[in-house]
Amino acid sequence: MNDTELISQILDGNMNAFTFLVNRYQKLVVHISGRLIQRQDELEDVCQEVFIKVYQNLGKYRNECKLSTWIATIAYNSSVNYLRKFRKFDEVDPDDSISLRNLVDFRMENYETIDLKHYIREQIELLPIQYRTVVTLFHLEEFSYQEVEQITGMAEGTVKSYLFRAKALLREKLKHIVDEDSLKLVKEISNEKG
Amino acid sequence: MRKDELTEILDRSLRGEPDFRLPADFAQKVTISVVRRERWRTDLHDYFFLTAILVGLIAAASGTYYLVDKELLVRALSFCETNWVPVAFLFFTLNFVLFADKVLLGLLFNRWKVN
Repeated sequence: MNDTELISQILDGNMNAFTFLVNRYQKLVVHISGRLIQRQDELEDVCQEVFIKVYQNLGKYRNECKLSTWIATIAYNSSVNYLRKFRKFDEVDPDDSISLRNLVDFRMENYETIDLKHYIREQIELLPIQYRTVVTLFHLEEFSYQEVEQITGMAEGTVKSYLFRAKALLREKLKHIVDEDSLKLVKEISNEKG
Repeated sequence: MRKDELTEILDRSLRGEPDFRLPADFAQKVTISVVRRERWRTDLHDYFFLTAILVGLIAAASGTYYLVDKELLVRALSFCETNWVPVAFLFFTLNFVLFADKVLLGLLFNRWKVN
């Protein structure tokens, strides 16, 4: 069933179709809201609010963008509002030097036991909120620059800059920890566990 | 470490799913919550609609009596004025019964059924 059929069924009052929609898009919402609020115990409530808003506003959806983009916009706005309401939301331009210091040190002796991909994911969670957002939307959810702009309201140039800086931060952290000789071992561990 | 290899590892990690999870029955829970909220909104709407109709009927009857038998209306208003406490009590009781019937009972039964 495509999105248009799904929407029309929901608007006709078919709640099974709505359950189907939630199942289809819950990963998208949990990735966006999860990366923003970073609290498993609060995540379910936020995601539930997102889908309630989706249901209440579905009649206003006009096919001007993909349904996933529209739902992602609601998830992003709801999560930001939640953070503004209950916790501090840092809107200032992120300081990369502070961010770099915040990233956890990776110790050479941990190579053989730590999954590198898992380690990088942990480091992503430590990035400034704007970086995490664009990284999640662009790399994980594979939205285009224009779609990320539409979802977050950030200018396309800002999105590109944040993506570049986020990757630069992570790369900077990684290049100190992985040398030429141990790369092979790291890749093996990564592949085995991934 | 070679730059392209580092980039490859990094790109793969960036595409990896974060560890946040929702319960397996999340979709069902959301649907139940939406149904409950919609029912509450409909019930509340019905209650206000019926209240508006009743108030409208009383106003229409008063208007008619004002034209047909003004004396009766004046006497009725005077009765309400002198006995405002029991009249107000009766009005609120009837209104509460309507509210309970249209909104409260539905909400309670709904919760009871879900739990």
